Amino acid sequence: MSGSATKVPGWIIWAAFLLPLGLLLVSLSIGSYHIPLRDIWATIGRAISPGAGAAPSPYADILFRIRLPRLLLALFAGAALSVSGASLQSLFRNPLVFEFSLGISYGAAFGAALSLVFLGKGFPPQLAAFVFAALAVLLVLVIAGKSASQIVPILLSGVIVSALFQAMLSLVEFFANPYALQSLIFWLMGSLADAVWGDLAVTLPIIVLGIAILILLRWRLNVLSLGEEEARALGVNVKWEKVLIITVATVTTAAATSVTGVINWIGLIVPHLVRMMVGPDNRKVIPLSAAFGASLLIVADDIARSAASFEIPIGILTSVVGIPFFIVLLRRSGKAWL
Amino acid sequence: MNIRVENLEYSYDDFRLEIGSLVFAEARVTSIVGPNGAGKSTFLKCAASVLTAPRRSLFVDGKDLTALHGRERAKLVGYVPQEPSYTFNYTVLDFVLTGRAAFIAAFSSPAGHDVRLAEDALQYVGLSGRGRRPFLELSSGERRLVLIARALAQGPEVLLLDEPTSFLDPRHEVETMALCRRLAEDKKKTVVVTLHNLEMAVRYSDAMVFMKGGKVVAAGAPADILSEPLLRDVYDLDIKIVECAGQKFFVK
Repeated sequence: MSGSATKVPGWIIWAAFLLPLGLLLVSLSIGSYHIPLRDIWATIGRAISPGAGAAPSPYADILFRIRLPRLLLALFAGAALSVSGASLQSLFRNPLVFEFSLGISYGAAFGAALSLVFLGKGFPPQLAAFVFAALAVLLVLVIAGKSASQIVPILLSGVIVSALFQAMLSLVEFFANPYALQSLIFWLMGSLADAVWGDLAVTLPIIVLGIAILILLRWRLNVLSLGEEEARALGVNVKWEKVLIITVATVTTAAATSVTGVINWIGLIVPHLVRMMVGPDNRKVIPLSAAFGASLLIVADDIARSAASFEIPIGILTSVVGIPFFIVLLRRSGKAWL
Repeated sequence: MNIRVENLEYSYDDFRLEIGSLVFAEARVTSIVGPNGAGKSTFLKCAASVLTAPRRSLFVDGKDLTALHGRERAKLVGYVPQEPSYTFNYTVLDFVLTGRAAFIAAFSSPAGHDVRLAEDALQYVGLSGRGRRPFLELSSGERRLVLIARALAQGPEVLLLDEPTSFLDPRHEVETMALCRRLAEDKKKTVVVTLHNLEMAVRYSDAMVFMKGGKVVAAGAPADILSEPLLRDVYDLDIKIVECAGQKFFVK
């Protein structure tokens, strides 16, 4: 299926944002302690109406201190990973570029490991993950150097840098004490369970700003995806816009990864799903990737919380479910949606 | 608007492009011919600012093209590349719309006005009604016309076309060259094409530039400069010029 077959009116693109919001409301009732939807409305109503001096709802703590931050994190992290993936795929004209292939995942993983194992409580693992994720991308770009605009050099540098951080991660694991190693392994598997308002207050504004910038640049990504030479002939300041997009996508992904741990495949699967549905036009692909990425991670987290008596690490869930799903789609539709 | 080239030098690896002085006239089709590796495409890329030419080496109506901001330059000069490989299969209309990039801020998207200009450009090259088709599913002849339509949507005075007729069947070859003539005659554009087909070049251009080894060997009206010694010199091959039905043919 390609772009021509579907004519999607503009309002549908933005209406798609109702999907993650609806899922978020429904998901508030899901968990080890079931809260009926009607009580959720009542609790929210009581919380936002200032005059109500009645006794606080027994659900308020669960809803506002545990579930809401967690679901908001799922929503924005899913959107961040998907939008960044879609943007970088267009920019590098390579459908296989995502957070993983630019070294972001292992950079963040190493940063978190370093902090969890050696720096102790004084240095938050989120900050270390963020710093090293950004460092990894920078390293990838420096190694690719002048040929950073071409696909193969940048992917090769990504592989090299990932391997480097992976090796250093193993080294940290080797020296870690069992207790630190355990919390590190859980972090590496990805989890939304630790979401607290304090972390979100720092990361959500970064993520929201990054997503907004990439959504604004959505049509420009069409032009840049034609390649550097053509974009320049069309009057685009390629160098500056490229730096802008890489920086924003990296910071956004790193911010999300720093609080969620390593959640892979979202940035690859969601943009491809969207292109299969509406074609490659980034004016649709970028906003829809945000909406569907957010929805997908909310649903994945619902499953992680409720499918078993224990909590399934969400990074494992997205990989185990995502990869076969992706293979089926790939085989069924060939490569026609590109 | 005419293009004036003055002491343009550009080198990479062990290739060196050196053009002392050359003018491409307004409302004329000029074709650049010469063997592979003569520097034809390199010259076009310099003129389109795909490659960075040295300062004060290219002028459009006396304005230093190399000093202009990318956006301003793109409004003057449109470039039709030899068909590159594309990753994403945009619709024809979305593809032509990218020609409006110079007029649309980075954080913005095309408006109805841009869509109309893109549709007009498609109509001009004879592809109206094809806007919803996926670009990569068109025939290579039609794809070439879409690339020209995109350059037209850009609204430039100068059009640079890199081998617009390569891999085309005779009919599409003639149609594409006839389109170049219409752009020069009706729209008063300065049209510069690189070509390998000498018959086409002679028949459709007002002026020809012969290049070899990065240098201009001869330039002028076809009737003034064409000669068998020149062809031997440029192509290292004996080529006979035969006249038949008022047209020149080149027998290798």
